[in-house]
Amino acid sequence: MGFDSVVAAGSRPGRRRRPALPQPHGPRPALARAGLVLAGAGFGAVTALAITDETAAEFRAAGGAATFIGSLTGLVGTYLALLMVLLVSRIPAIERVLGQDGLLRWHRRLAPWPISLLAAHALFITVGYAQAARAGLGHQVAVLLTRYPDVLTATVGLGIMCVIGVVSIAAVRRRLRRETWWLIHLYMYLALAISFAHVLALGPSFVGHPLTQVVWSVAWAATAGLVLCYRFGLPVVRSLRHRLVVTEVRPEGPGVVSVICSGRELDKLAVAGGQFFFWRFLTRGMWWQAHPYTMSALPQPPYVRLTVKAVGDHSAAVAKLRPGTWVAVEGPYGVFTKYVQQRPQALLVAAGIGVTALRSLLEDMPRGAAPVVLLRGTRPEDLVLRKEVAELVRYRRGRLHELTGTREEAALDERSLTRLVPDLHRGDLYVCGPEGFVTSVVDLAARLGVPAEAVHHEAYAL
Amino acid sequence: MKRAGWYLIAGAAAGFAGVLGLHGAGAATPSSPGPLASGGAGAAPAPAATATGGTSRSGDPAAPSGGAAPARRATGAVVPYGYGELSVTVTVRGTQITAVSVPLLRTAEPYSQQIAEQVLPMLRSEVLAAHSAQIHAVSGATYTSAAYAQSIQSALDKLHVK
Repeated sequence: MGFDSVVAAGSRPGRRRRPALPQPHGPRPALARAGLVLAGAGFGAVTALAITDETAAEFRAAGGAATFIGSLTGLVGTYLALLMVLLVSRIPAIERVLGQDGLLRWHRRLAPWPISLLAAHALFITVGYAQAARAGLGHQVAVLLTRYPDVLTATVGLGIMCVIGVVSIAAVRRRLRRETWWLIHLYMYLALAISFAHVLALGPSFVGHPLTQVVWSVAWAATAGLVLCYRFGLPVVRSLRHRLVVTEVRPEGPGVVSVICSGRELDKLAVAGGQFFFWRFLTRGMWWQAHPYTMSALPQPPYVRLTVKAVGDHSAAVAKLRPGTWVAVEGPYGVFTKYVQQRPQALLVAAGIGVTALRSLLEDMPRGAAPVVLLRGTRPEDLVLRKEVAELVRYRRGRLHELTGTREEAALDERSLTRLVPDLHRGDLYVCGPEGFVTSVVDLAARLGVPAEAVHHEAYAL
Repeated sequence: MKRAGWYLIAGAAAGFAGVLGLHGAGAATPSSPGPLASGGAGAAPAPAATATGGTSRSGDPAAPSGGAAPARRATGAVVPYGYGELSVTVTVRGTQITAVSVPLLRTAEPYSQQIAEQVLPMLRSEVLAAHSAQIHAVSGATYTSAAYAQSIQSALDKLHVK
């Protein structure tokens, strides 16, 4: 039952693949372009709405300018919030273009905007109305909260958003456990839901304009539907279909374990080497959180294998999993696959636990690929799975380099890299490992003349 | 992805132009969107039907009533605002505004109607006190107040007051 036989099967020549398998595939550029145009169109449309709903006379009246800014920031901020939700809704078409870490990077980069714009919206509307009424700000706040429909709930929603914004500031976030932050962060859905009504009840672009009301409601309903479908429905369906159960937990090296799960119909799971799943182990302490771990080998029905390094509470608990534990999965995700390769030659670099993605990617590469593989670790025993990697490299007629030592002793710099791989700039580069390592190798590749579109990376955030 | 920014900008321009175009089309055909603007300006079955759209002068210089300056009356433009549209009729004697009424008020939904009915008396007393369209907006009814003031100003312009 062990995975040795599985690994051997993976590297056996002429492994049979049934033709009817659902095949994973790479990004679809046309879809991505359509998505970009659509995202831009929405932005242009809400900006135009804000401009058309204010007449020149209203703008010149007392408080008109502030009210206009308030309405513009409100519309644009809400629209950006919708885009943020879409970005993390795991829509496969978007995921295949940006990859999970690309999605999260953009989400993180853009998310401060909707929150600050919506805060500005509340401020400017209050100021504008107060100016128009020649009333004090405090009085105006009371009027807005008590006399305007749905403003109270929207204010509560804004409060939740601001709290989420604060806890997401890097300095604050570092002090929180990942799980705590994640749970707080989930309240964003609630905040958006309870803020929705006041837009239709009070927004001058919506009151009395059935067309905008319908378009706006449909856009939000569709977004909610996509989130429900891809973040909730699809994982549930997949988990029920494959019914994964932990079969074995095996140590691989210092602090590293492999978890082997068995399940049904795994041959119908369209997964590419280098991809990962969010794993949810259904034990008393772990069922409520899903963590991203890479598959360290292609599925060998009825088995799949993930390899995990204990760096946090969750990954440490993985080592203590008992056989028979039920497992729910969400995925596969990731663009660290052979489908994004631009040129025939490839250099694969992994540090530490990054070897897991490299290992399954390598397994997915065709026999003649002749890849150059570079494994980096502090101690020789940190190079987990090195025997499997060596066998896969040999079978694909590639070369394997192992680099062990401290960063000073075995530095990966321009000199050492060009010595190991003189024709680096002619091929694709796949890098996988901790964030700092990935960044430094990507920078190095850029300096050595590897074009950006030929560099593929997957970073592990701790 | 190459040229991602250009696709975004092209989309934004298209979306912007699309909404402006729709808005323009809606403004050109008065009977287009929703419960509003179901008739032309002034043609509404409004209470206190003095809305003739133009200037109606009751009281002629030739037949002064009451000895002082003659009372003149005009109905201001129908002003659409965020939640509906309204028009105001003003009666002046010399430069004094002696009466204000609202022959036309239509709102998109009951809530806006309720707001408007609450604030119209307040706005009326402000105008009667200020004798001009320079009035304070009522808190919570910014758009209604602005439309009210604008319609009054257009009526005063018709009467060549100030």
